[in-house]
Amino acid sequence: MEFLGFNEAETQAILLSIKVAVYCSLISLPIALWVGYKMARHDFWGKSIIESLIHLPLVMPPVTTGYLLLLLLGSKSLVGQWLFDTFGIKLAFSFHAAVVASVFVSFPLIVRSIRTAMEMVDTGLEEASRILGVGKIKTFLRVTVPLALPGIISGTILAFARSLGEFGATITFAGNIEGETQTLPLAIYAKMQIPGQENATLRLVIVSIVISFIAMTLSEWFIKKIKHDRG
Amino acid sequence: MTEVDFLLKRKNFNVEVKEHFCKGITGIFGPSGSGKTSLLHTIAGLEKPKEGKISINGRVLFDKNEGVNIPVEKRNIGYVFQEGRLFPHMTVEKNLLYGNKRFGSKKISFEKVVEMLNLKHLLNSKPSQISGGERQRTALGRTLLSSPDILLLDEPFSALDAKIRNQIIPFILRIQEKVKIPIMVVSHDLTDLLKLTNKLFLIKNGQCVGHDKYYKLLKDQNALEIFGSAPLVNSITMNVLETNPETGLTLLGWKESSPEVIISCEKSRNGYKPGEEIKIFVDAADIAISLEKSSTITIQNQVQGTITDIIKRGSTLLCIVDAGFRLVVEVTSESQNRLGIRQGSKIWCMFKSVSIDVAG
Repeated sequence: MEFLGFNEAETQAILLSIKVAVYCSLISLPIALWVGYKMARHDFWGKSIIESLIHLPLVMPPVTTGYLLLLLLGSKSLVGQWLFDTFGIKLAFSFHAAVVASVFVSFPLIVRSIRTAMEMVDTGLEEASRILGVGKIKTFLRVTVPLALPGIISGTILAFARSLGEFGATITFAGNIEGETQTLPLAIYAKMQIPGQENATLRLVIVSIVISFIAMTLSEWFIKKIKHDRG
Repeated sequence: MTEVDFLLKRKNFNVEVKEHFCKGITGIFGPSGSGKTSLLHTIAGLEKPKEGKISINGRVLFDKNEGVNIPVEKRNIGYVFQEGRLFPHMTVEKNLLYGNKRFGSKKISFEKVVEMLNLKHLLNSKPSQISGGERQRTALGRTLLSSPDILLLDEPFSALDAKIRNQIIPFILRIQEKVKIPIMVVSHDLTDLLKLTNKLFLIKNGQCVGHDKYYKLLKDQNALEIFGSAPLVNSITMNVLETNPETGLTLLGWKESSPEVIISCEKSRNGYKPGEEIKIFVDAADIAISLEKSSTITIQNQVQGTITDIIKRGSTLLCIVDAGFRLVVEVTSESQNRLGIRQGSKIWCMFKSVSIDVAG
């Protein structure tokens, strides 16, 4: 990265951002698949409450989400203390905190997208699969997931992109530590505070645009390809 | 043997069936909303009855008292849906092989299914690229390859137009012949069912109204009521005696001795071999009755028989004629009076070659 004129701190911010976004998508995806499927196929008591809870980070200011995470998982909270006592993990103000913050903020987007895609999958096809002797889990993997794939991909990319842009919850819950939690938006913000860093700021802004653009284009291309293959 | 004895609660009515279904093809007929599909759903495990017991060849699939409820995927049932329900993201070949890994012995091989249902040229196509009839054949093949103990066909024709229906029928008959598993077919179209079988199960408001041979059911006023005004079709299996490419006519016979029936080529495919068995269909209303044979008429098919029953159906009469094979003839009561025919009368049944439909 040095050849593009980035210094070490900037390179770190770029790589860290991508790393957080990848972790965030990989962690959100399996959970969102399960939650999205449950939401699309089952009615259960308290469904609308769970739905509201999942969607809360979408409408709340991210700073609030970060603050709540700090209250819930910070080192002085019950969960935080338990995590430290049992596993020796200090979550708040660490790389993992940045991932957790991203997961919470992007989860409503990925769940929504997967759920809608799964609602579009004809339950008759799942029935047909089971009558043919294929169990529930295999039916899910062989019929539901492939048919909902465009929605699953765009949901994952949305989560990835949202995580790249995450600022408020990250700075509140994970802090702004260079090389550990300082992702691209935080680095840009930090640069903006220093006079004479306009060029550096702009460079990072462009990088952030390029990464988002590549992610979106790739997802569009994938979805087009899937739709084309189905004829 | 399939033993069914259950009570299923629906919103508007209950479906209550207590019946044995034997080998061969059983046609399940009734008005829409009568519980036909619910019956198949319950056997397949897609709907759970409130009470009762269901077993196939002695294997209990559901027993309320014993707390048995085998999940759908373990019931070993073949189910073909009205819309085929092929997996759109898989090729025809992948669809066919989808349930192939089911436990137990194979009843039929992949190659045989492909040949029997004429699917070879479609294997690499996607379901969206093939016709409705081809989709339904693929669905049949996919179900057969899952080696089911019973085949349930839920309105397999209703998405197809009349011409393609007649093309699917011989495939189903061939399946019955080669795989020898019981088949239950649901349809709201009596003609379609009669082309497949003469064993009918009649259902109305969730209750069985009749379960017998078609000719016997005709004598039952309750059953006749269910048949409504649907055209009654005669379905006869005959052997090809000879074909005449010049006139385009095919000569058919019934078990060597009986009368010959001539069918015209327009509706039959070419290339019948002598001795080949084919199924023909004639509407009861397309047959005329005459007291003697006539040589001064264009009608070529003149078959002698004895009237075994006369049944009143609305304003018309149904004559059941034994002509070596059974024929149902629909006439007006005015004609009956004029000819003076009654039970036991020896008469000639006349029907035009062009009024004959052929399966395939």
